[in-house]
Amino acid sequence: MFLVRNGVVEMLGVLFDRYQSPLFNFYCKLTGDRSASEDLVQEVFYRILKYRKSYQSGMSFRSWMYQIARNARLDQARRQKPDAELEDESASSRMSAFTAGDAVEHDQEVELLHRALMQLPEEKREVLVLSRFQNLKYEEIAQTIGVEVGAVKVRVHRALNELREIFRQLETGRASVTKNT
Amino acid sequence: MTCSEIENVFSDYLQRSLRREQIAAIDAHLESCADCKSLAGVWERLAAIPEEQAGLNSKKRFDLMMDAYEEGRKDRQTIKTRRASWWPEFLTSGWQHFPFAQAAMAVVVVVVGVALGKYLNPPAATNAQELAALHQELTGMRQLMVLSMLQQPSASERLQGVSWSEQVKSSNPEIISALVHTVRYDSSVDVRLAALDALRRYKDQPQVRTDILQSLRADQSPLLQIALIDFMVELREAQAVEYLKKFEQSKDLNPTVRQRAEWGINKLSRG
Repeated sequence: MFLVRNGVVEMLGVLFDRYQSPLFNFYCKLTGDRSASEDLVQEVFYRILKYRKSYQSGMSFRSWMYQIARNARLDQARRQKPDAELEDESASSRMSAFTAGDAVEHDQEVELLHRALMQLPEEKREVLVLSRFQNLKYEEIAQTIGVEVGAVKVRVHRALNELREIFRQLETGRASVTKNT
Repeated sequence: MTCSEIENVFSDYLQRSLRREQIAAIDAHLESCADCKSLAGVWERLAAIPEEQAGLNSKKRFDLMMDAYEEGRKDRQTIKTRRASWWPEFLTSGWQHFPFAQAAMAVVVVVVGVALGKYLNPPAATNAQELAALHQELTGMRQLMVLSMLQQPSASERLQGVSWSEQVKSSNPEIISALVHTVRYDSSVDVRLAALDALRRYKDQPQVRTDILQSLRADQSPLLQIALIDFMVELREAQAVEYLKKFEQSKDLNPTVRQRAEWGINKLSRG
């Protein structure tokens, strides 16, 4: 019996080693909160263990996993709803603290882009994170969020446009601050 | 190309899922259009955002979670046994004051005694149940594992997935269809051959036999074609002759493969 039990643990362990980092990054970019992200990663693996029978082979494993990940995030956000707005505000400031302090221009630009990304509404940010950072194909994203592939492409395009706008505003803001000082 | 034409395919351009000439056309447009170029630039620069490293405790927490999960199982079992031990306490409270009840009690005790004698070792039964549940769980995890491995981008991981599939004892339709899919469409010949080997275990299933017959196509690697022909001969499937004859007529077939196909047809028609 020991062997059997170890087998289950071992196999979930292999999945954990492979996917914990992508999932952690997914959550960091979604929530901007490292400790919440770590909790959510654990939650995802618990759910994989619990709901593994719901996996259907026609679906890509990643789509299925990110579907679970998304639901875990939605449940967590629902639990925190009363101070959701406060969360959002602090999220962008917390994330910016990760990369702050680098004097090099390139790094500043990246940091600004990171801030812009965190200011994007979560549902728009999500498609960008899935396609750009998690490297999911549009078909996989469509399966994950349950919409048509065409709709995913439109969303990615719109989100990117909006991100550019926010980024430009931040850039102008920074330029005027540097000029005044 | 104009900006509005590009808008329709821009997302595909970002993931490079377009034909080469389309990508070149968009590249050319970007050179002359600052607006589109800046949008593509934002996408490019997103890659520079650094990856976050998960804390070292993460794996430890995961192990703890797995321990807790197992503890939860054990607890459920203990509750069952504890419930069983409440009975004698309930039966002895206050009954001894009534003569009829005493007689009834005596009968009950005898019956319970006999019943207990029959179920000599009740914990063994729960152990067996738990073992069965764990076995089922392990099979489930293995299947999940195989299916996820077969979709990995690296060929060596997919190979590993194929070899894991051989550890799944029960014949699972999802795994079989994933293996058939791998035989037909995997980008690596090695992985395809390994998947074909793994399917050997299921060769008695009618669906698998048909799937194998239909997998032989003219545009595949000769190695795989020969392996498929050999497999068909091994199956001794009457239908296979038809498939092989059709296949043999395809143009541009490798001479060795054609020879092998002829050999297969002979072998199968002789029965």
